[in-house]
Amino acid sequence: MGGQVSKMMGKIFGTKEMRILMLGLDAAGKTTILYKLKLSNQDVTTIPTVGFNVESVTYKNVKFNVWDVGGQDKIRPLWRHYYSGTQGLIFVVDSSDTARVEEARSELHKIINDREMKDALLLVFANKQDIPGHLSPEEVTQQLQLTKLKDKLWYVAPSVATDGTGIFEGLAWLSNNVKTQPQK
Amino acid sequence: MATALPYRPSNDSLSTSNRQTTGLPRLSPAPSFIGRSPSSSHGSYRRISTEHGGSSFKPRRCKAQYPLDSPERHVEYILVASFHIDRGPIMEHQYPAAISGDESMLAELMLPDQTHVRSQDWTMFFLHKDTSADDDTDSVDGKKKKRKSKYRGNQDGAGTQDENSDEASDDQDSSDDEGGEGPPLMYVLNLVNTKQDNTVRRYVHHNSHDVLYCELTPNSGAVVKAMAICTRHSFLHIYKPLLLLALEDYFKSPYPETLASLYDAVNAMDLSLMPKMSILERHILQSSNTKDMFLEKFEQMIRQREEEESQEGECPPSPKKMSRYVLPRDTHEYESKVVYNDIPIPVKIPTVIWPETVGDFSLIKLVQTFAVPHATSPQAFQAHPHLTTSGPFTHPIIVLVNAILTQKRVVFLGHNRPSGEVAEAVLAACALASGGILRGFTRHAFPYTDLTKIDDLLKVPGFIAGVTNPTFANHPEWWDILCDLPTGRIKISTHVEPAPVTEGLLFFQQQNALLPNNTNTTHDPTGDTLFMEDILRSISQRHGENAVRAKWRSYITKFVRVAAAFEEAVYGASNLYIIGPGEELSPDSPTGHQSDAADPSSLRGHGYVWTDETAKQRELSASVSRIEGWRNTRSYYSYIQDIAAMYFPARPIQRPDITHHHDRLRALKLSHSEAASIYLALSHAVKDYAGICQLLCVAPENQAGLFYISMGLFHPDQVVREATVDLLDRIAAHPAGRHFWTQVGRFAKLGYIRVKRERDAAAQSPISGAASPTIATGAGTSFGGEPQSLVGVAMGGSMSRRS
Repeated sequence: MGGQVSKMMGKIFGTKEMRILMLGLDAAGKTTILYKLKLSNQDVTTIPTVGFNVESVTYKNVKFNVWDVGGQDKIRPLWRHYYSGTQGLIFVVDSSDTARVEEARSELHKIINDREMKDALLLVFANKQDIPGHLSPEEVTQQLQLTKLKDKLWYVAPSVATDGTGIFEGLAWLSNNVKTQPQK
Repeated sequence: MATALPYRPSNDSLSTSNRQTTGLPRLSPAPSFIGRSPSSSHGSYRRISTEHGGSSFKPRRCKAQYPLDSPERHVEYILVASFHIDRGPIMEHQYPAAISGDESMLAELMLPDQTHVRSQDWTMFFLHKDTSADDDTDSVDGKKKKRKSKYRGNQDGAGTQDENSDEASDDQDSSDDEGGEGPPLMYVLNLVNTKQDNTVRRYVHHNSHDVLYCELTPNSGAVVKAMAICTRHSFLHIYKPLLLLALEDYFKSPYPETLASLYDAVNAMDLSLMPKMSILERHILQSSNTKDMFLEKFEQMIRQREEEESQEGECPPSPKKMSRYVLPRDTHEYESKVVYNDIPIPVKIPTVIWPETVGDFSLIKLVQTFAVPHATSPQAFQAHPHLTTSGPFTHPIIVLVNAILTQKRVVFLGHNRPSGEVAEAVLAACALASGGILRGFTRHAFPYTDLTKIDDLLKVPGFIAGVTNPTFANHPEWWDILCDLPTGRIKISTHVEPAPVTEGLLFFQQQNALLPNNTNTTHDPTGDTLFMEDILRSISQRHGENAVRAKWRSYITKFVRVAAAFEEAVYGASNLYIIGPGEELSPDSPTGHQSDAADPSSLRGHGYVWTDETAKQRELSASVSRIEGWRNTRSYYSYIQDIAAMYFPARPIQRPDITHHHDRLRALKLSHSEAASIYLALSHAVKDYAGICQLLCVAPENQAGLFYISMGLFHPDQVVREATVDLLDRIAAHPAGRHFWTQVGRFAKLGYIRVKRERDAAAQSPISGAASPTIATGAGTSFGGEPQSLVGVAMGGSMSRRS
């Protein structure tokens, strides 16, 4: 009964569901972002992700099922198993880690060139904007060579995951641009 | 292949002669045990069992399942792995030597997904590791074998060549649980602990940033470590308390010495007083709830040990020594202890280990997980002939068993559940489909696996895997059925391969088309709905795990027997049944016909018993698809090997087919003459120790026990009644049979006493005694003296049961 009511409410208010995959190099701040979304007003401390995390977050009538997959280079080959059915990719970049931004670019292009990801939206978090010596969102755009992408909807959002700055702005962009229900 | 499944040549010396005479009737082998009065059993079980164990039933020494001088160690390796901040899972230490093979794969298995979100997790996995040094290249995971050379060294030191050769034959004996498909599996029990630790650095790539970031988030470090025990014993769960202690110690002192002290402690465990049992004895023990079943064997082990010790002169025999070895309180498990860091930790090892039974899973838990959501709101399955054998609302547990039997790809998914939980479900599913009868499931089971091994997993045709990663649900191309543990729902994949149309199916349909009344008229043609109701009733009435396992065992036994009947009907002969001597596979040779008039045991007939031909056709046509689906699988072929290898040890009585005829007593309304021929045949054929064991396997306690046999006491023909009395006397004097006899109802026992009195009266008057010369005189001499004592046994037994 309860299930039926909430289904009806869903129809009235048009709740959308969206499968999001969050990737990035290790220590970029993926898990911190995930739990900042989930538990917005709390301090989040994380430890390295063994495998993956997955959480559902509802924001502006969109239910985001966010998959956060560990970033150690050894487990990056597993990322592809999470592609099918993904409508949005959040790629998290440590803006202060200038030495590895090229590595991040190559991983990102590998992901979005996959056939299963061709329709997915791309949101890049230029994370750790609070650390001195960080790259600006424009510099991140340039370094990741996003302007070269064709037929791709993308957006770069500056963020500080530890205090939550910029995270919901990024999510708002995703919910405004998602079109279809997830294919089951 | 068959060498891996050898039969035991002679547990009792009689089965040897049995084989040579190909089942011809023998003289009663044991006048000694018939002559001996069991009346002495009034006082204590101990005394009577000593007599039987010593004199007639056990001419041979009792052997240990795990002898002291065995080169097999209880535990072969101890491993420790940890999650390294840069490199992911790594192996830290291995003891006593490197296990070799893919170390990083092992470390990944030891640190399951999401261990960072819980403080503790158990997992299990299996390694296909070879046991011989010579064929390194053959081993599945490319792992090398160093054991053999090591053991050679041991043997030189001990210099016990004779015992080693003895051991070799023993090893063959014991391997009947495993064999057929290569070396036994190495089972790995693994414990993971995650400890938050402020001193551990979180990020290490760039030293300058490292310092900075550590200042920002000081509390974000953690240490994840896992310790594993690698053993070839399938009862690996007994090591759980030890791993808990040892891993805690390892956090304090992370050195190989910690592994070494655990290794030495577990290998010092003494199981040498645990007797070895034959296949029939194991079967009886497992299906029985009697706590002192086969206690004689344990007593004999202790006696042998004491004799050895007194011969060696180590310590002279004294009454005080009796207390050194204790008899088990329940013969189903053997109690021992492991002394780790001066702490004695009690362990219980199961006496009977069936194939495909690994760890301490619960069938009840598995059944309930999927039965409860089905009961509250059943969901229709997508139809598949192999799987949905009772229509779209087939019970999910039946769908699961069908999937495993027909070698589908089965995935258990437990998102946010500890990996130990999915591992348990996988192991329970293996046991469910095996029933202890079919094999080849654990060998292709992956109790816990993750995405890193998906490519290798998909190369395995038909597997049972446990995962925690919910992305498996998004990949229906990876599995045929998905069993979701949190919701308790089973899903059939949209990518499942359709059931092929086989010759057998076509033949069967052609045959069946000729029959007028077709199928699907009844509600439950397979009987599975009723069966599941029975299982759930057992669970709700708290009959216990053992009872549920016994029910599944009979379910799988029935499946195999129905499959044999199907093969005979469709192909004219079955691979699944070896017909006994004198038996013919022809429809003109009706069941119950005696091929040799002079020999009551030449009674014909074999296989599963249906009440009538319509019932048979209905059941066969309901099961035809899954039987055809099973006929090409690994478990089908290993079963064929097994029945060939087990023919003599599991069937000391080759004719008549006592299972078949006992089923006829149970299921059919027989005429007096038909029933008479069965009772006479049973009484004639079931004489020696192994034969009685076989009969007891056919009539387990949970299925009315000796009830149908005891009904022979009320047969109108006196010859039949007396033959039944003789048979029951033999059973009552049998170490396992006496427990069955005490459970026979009072009514039957009164019938028994009446027949005894009649016979006594007949023995006193020569005229009526002549009416049945052979039996009356033969039995009269053995029993005439002490009828009262036997009555005493009967009454005493029923009294004690009631109190």
